[in-house]
Amino acid sequence: MHPIQEALLRSRRDFLTGSASGVGLVALASMLADREAIAAPVGDSPPGLPENPLCPRPPHFPPKARACICIYLEGGPSQIDLFDPKPQLNRLDGQPLPESFTKDVRFAFIQKETATVMGCPRVFSRRGECGMELSDYLPHLGQCADDLALIRSMHTDQFNHHPGQLLMNTGSAMFGRPSVGSWLTYGLGSESENLPGYVVLTTGRGTSGGASNWSSGFLPSTYSGVLFRNSGDPVLHLGNPEGLSSRIQRETIDAIGALNARRFDAVRDEEIQSRIASYELAFRMQSSAPELIDLSGESPETLDLYGVGREDPEGGGRGGGPGVYDQFATNCLLARRMVERGVRFINIYHASWDHHSNIDAELAFNSGMADRPVAALITDLKRRGLLDDTLVLWCSEFGRTPLGENRPGFKAVTGRDHHPFAFSLFLAGGGVRGGQVIGKTDEIGWNVVEDPVHVHDYHATILKLFGFDHTRLTYRYQGRDFRLTDVAGRVVDPLIA
Amino acid sequence: MLPTLEGVPLPAAIGALLAASALIGTSRGQDAPETIEELPRAVDRPVDFLAEIKPLLDARCVSCHGADRQKSGLRLDRREAAMAGGDLGPAIEPGASADSSLIWKVTGFQGESIMPPTGAPLAPEEVALLRAWIDQGAHWPEAGTNESRRTSDHWSFQPIARPAPPEIDCEDWARNPIDRFVLRRLESEGLEPSPEADRATLIRRLSLDLTGLPPSPEEVDAFFADESPGAYDSLVARLLASPHFGERWGRHWLDLARYADSDGYEKDRPRPEAYRYRDWVIDAINRDLPYDRFTVEQLAGDLLPGAGPNQLAAAGFHRNTLTNTEGGVDQEEFRVAAVVDRVNTTGSVWLGLTVACAQCHTHKFDPITQREYYQLFAFFNTADEADLPIDRETPAGGDEETKEATGPHIRTFVEQAEEDQRESRILIRGDFLRPGEPVEPGTLEVLPDFEPAGRPDRLDLAEWLVDPENPLTGRVAVNRIWHLLFGRALVVSMDDFGTQGEEPSHPELLDWLASEYRLLGWSRKELIRTIVRSSTYRQSSAVRPDLQAIDPENVLLARQNRIRLEAEVIRDLALAAGGLLSTELGGPSVFPPQPPGISELTYARSAQWEESTGPDRYRRGMYTFFRRTSPYPMLTTFDAPDANVCAVKRSTSNTPLQALTLLNDAVFVESARALGLRSLREDPSLPTERAFRLAIGRRPTVEELEILQGLRDSLLAAFRADPGSAASMLGDEVLPEPVDPAEAAASVATARAILNLDEFITRE
Repeated sequence: MHPIQEALLRSRRDFLTGSASGVGLVALASMLADREAIAAPVGDSPPGLPENPLCPRPPHFPPKARACICIYLEGGPSQIDLFDPKPQLNRLDGQPLPESFTKDVRFAFIQKETATVMGCPRVFSRRGECGMELSDYLPHLGQCADDLALIRSMHTDQFNHHPGQLLMNTGSAMFGRPSVGSWLTYGLGSESENLPGYVVLTTGRGTSGGASNWSSGFLPSTYSGVLFRNSGDPVLHLGNPEGLSSRIQRETIDAIGALNARRFDAVRDEEIQSRIASYELAFRMQSSAPELIDLSGESPETLDLYGVGREDPEGGGRGGGPGVYDQFATNCLLARRMVERGVRFINIYHASWDHHSNIDAELAFNSGMADRPVAALITDLKRRGLLDDTLVLWCSEFGRTPLGENRPGFKAVTGRDHHPFAFSLFLAGGGVRGGQVIGKTDEIGWNVVEDPVHVHDYHATILKLFGFDHTRLTYRYQGRDFRLTDVAGRVVDPLIA
Repeated sequence: MLPTLEGVPLPAAIGALLAASALIGTSRGQDAPETIEELPRAVDRPVDFLAEIKPLLDARCVSCHGADRQKSGLRLDRREAAMAGGDLGPAIEPGASADSSLIWKVTGFQGESIMPPTGAPLAPEEVALLRAWIDQGAHWPEAGTNESRRTSDHWSFQPIARPAPPEIDCEDWARNPIDRFVLRRLESEGLEPSPEADRATLIRRLSLDLTGLPPSPEEVDAFFADESPGAYDSLVARLLASPHFGERWGRHWLDLARYADSDGYEKDRPRPEAYRYRDWVIDAINRDLPYDRFTVEQLAGDLLPGAGPNQLAAAGFHRNTLTNTEGGVDQEEFRVAAVVDRVNTTGSVWLGLTVACAQCHTHKFDPITQREYYQLFAFFNTADEADLPIDRETPAGGDEETKEATGPHIRTFVEQAEEDQRESRILIRGDFLRPGEPVEPGTLEVLPDFEPAGRPDRLDLAEWLVDPENPLTGRVAVNRIWHLLFGRALVVSMDDFGTQGEEPSHPELLDWLASEYRLLGWSRKELIRTIVRSSTYRQSSAVRPDLQAIDPENVLLARQNRIRLEAEVIRDLALAAGGLLSTELGGPSVFPPQPPGISELTYARSAQWEESTGPDRYRRGMYTFFRRTSPYPMLTTFDAPDANVCAVKRSTSNTPLQALTLLNDAVFVESARALGLRSLREDPSLPTERAFRLAIGRRPTVEELEILQGLRDSLLAAFRADPGSAASMLGDEVLPEPVDPAEAAASVATARAILNLDEFITRE
């Protein structure tokens, strides 16, 4: 185990097994919170779910954020090339690291014996009034620097993709746990009458975690992410069968509803009433979802801001398949439209950031794809007054090594391996204090040296922004109250405005 | 402490608390020793364990580290256990007190959280005694061992009783002892059971519960007409003998077995041989392989003397775990993860215990230590996945690296050759990189004795699980069967019979069923026959207003429950109603049409989905190829589990996506088309009623028929006005000569409405 993990494990254990006074403070804190709570929050209510599981509900205390757009760049974007400048790397380029760094560390592909530091050709400059240093691969995001809270001290427990994604998305590397979006929809319900509360958008090829990344786990499937599609119907089976007009559909649903109502009269099972409501929502979705994806009402200026309609650059990277520039931009714009329509949680996935080789070109391609639309999203939300209560996240499962990847069989060292000990992500809007950098890594970006933020801490903070005490948003399963943050997590207070 | 804060201004209270906490920090007011020199020195004389040490341990340690509780997996009341240590490793290093974590703990050495956690810390003189005893070799005479075996007075650990069926007032209602237990409880609450469901409901209920297929209208009519006293029993007998019984109950079992057709994780490669296990399950249930044997073959089929292809297929139960072939993974990490899953699954399926909680530390609530967890782990740690030829003679050792069998083979779970067997160790905090003390295979002390001859193996474990003395296996199994026949289990926490789980609603009934299961020779079919013959099972499922205030959850069983059908069955019903369903049993999984863009979501778009042709498009839902990272959408929408971990219970959500699926998914559109045309063909004068009966069994009421006819008339007018839409509604179907396309399209559209009724996807 790495020293920093050892230290964290220890501090966590000490907190848990610590003195009686620690327990007392926790109990006191929850007692205070109880006093301020608006209504019984989900986790504290008796077993069983509210009658309408998507009915809007208040959290533990007044929230700062109401909606969340989580941009997940699967594979582990290089923090060294984007967010965390390490000029020392260029000085050490080609030199081996002292064994003390790599001694107990496991890599996916790097051969420790011959691995050497890889320099970084990126140029960082200070952006915004806050002077946040960002890479030349992120020119547009640089313009939003004063809205970004950049964490350079993220660390995780997992160094393989799928387990890492599960941890980042569900708080556990094991299968079967609910994703962040599922927890939030479970805790808060949905504010949209015509759209699902939790929507997933993907760009290009799939992620290695697939549907487990937006699964509701042991929560009812009502809280699963609903996958919107890139082509054809935006929601699976949204379109009527060929030859069936909307009028026929309406009459059909009316008849189904009338017959279900008769059945309800006969057997009085309330599930039947939910069924009738589900059909009504389905019908509304049939018109609202196409309206949602119809961008004809957006101004040319807005479309251009996001880069909708952009062609992929010539000779670019693999990037997840053709047309991703346009798809990603469109997804960012759709996310804003969903927020306007009351969707609680929107996940935008793009896979292909696993740059074991050819990192300069591949990362240039991907950054070019993501930089402008994400910056546009923040800008657009802000000018529409939506950024205040919309949390925008940029994240992935881990970062990349300062060492070059010398995998056997590779002709040259042109990429970086998985790095769980230190990576970067950012938050914006939704009650986050922008224009700040949290945490610090050492000279080569190997370890966190200041203010480490574990995935659980990040999750605890997100829940706090939505008005939840992460220790009290619970669901009873297998005789135990489960939470997103397992038995850990501490809120990163400086993140909150 | 907290109530005394009432009335104190809160900031002051917090301040006071903080001050107090500083005062009583880790070492509670003492200066915690930072160097060995600061520890109290050992007394300089021989120490008598019985006179000086044991009383100290008993007084200050054993309440948390003894027979009743083993916090952190540590016991200090028995020599062997004390020397073995706990979850965090050894506590006592004989001859080296300064290296013993026991001494660190009682002194708060270098910031250790101090033990005992309450009361005054040990006095320096007491620490000096302990140190001397350890330095002198930690001698612990036999007489100093507390003989108490770990016990628990929790209900589920008690032996299964055979309660006598109670006396009841209304003797006529009771068909068998089940009814006596249920009615006794109802009578004590002053409640009456519900009337028997009507015959159309009963035959559909039985058909769906036992085979997952609907009765034909003719079967419903025949059952209606059969007034002989044995009509019900012969219907039950016919359904139990149907080969579809094995499919229906096999699918339930596959949820537990986390069966899927692919590896899982990033690459999620297909497992084209996985279906052999699935087919074994169907076959075993059809031939009513007794549950004890069913258990033994799945947990240890490879170890049975003379194991044949059947036993090897059965042993695939624990081969269904995930395999991570992602580039750069540490194979050992995921091998250990699979072993962990095998332990957890075995614990859930047979013991109904959350043993998984003891993977990283001793169970917080139940009597399961972390050491015991790794004793269970040890059973599964010496076996691997391996390909074996189906017609092989003798079992060979498993080795996942080398075996690439050619010819007909089976991939299963096989014990390592004796000389290669892995050692098992406690994994500290569950981390495979932190091996602790070695452990031997063993079971839970709180459960009956486990005394096999020689080194225990999985076969011994399996036989121990199904031993009549085991109080959990039978209870857990009958509880699951009850759940499937009533939509509600007697112990609602089906996966947790531990102290945090729910108490049984009818403890005597649960025990009677568990004992009956054994008396029936663990015959699944006979137990199910007993349950479905009861009056309790036959009750109407209509919600009763008089019960809503008293028993809204229907705990007391004054009625049956309505159950939203499972994903696979919903598909089967629609295809069956349209006459499209292929009833072929078993074989490789199939690829029915699925919407575009599903497989593309997998890693690097690697999943292939080559649509099946011919009857394979219309196989039962359970034969659909299940790819873990991109499951068939219709199945997921209706709550099929993701097959990544053992699923003890499915949820039954109710979402707009389900509505859209039934309305517009190609399978259901095709079924509606087939049902509409079939009804027109089979009853040209009343196609709507025919379609309703093909889908739901019973006759529609006059009012229901009016609504459907109204819809049909309106749609007919619409299709007449727009022949193009009628044509596309009918797709490629060629109509028999005299049929008017608009009529046919209206029948199809009406059939579509019927396939969307709540009742259609509900077992009433």
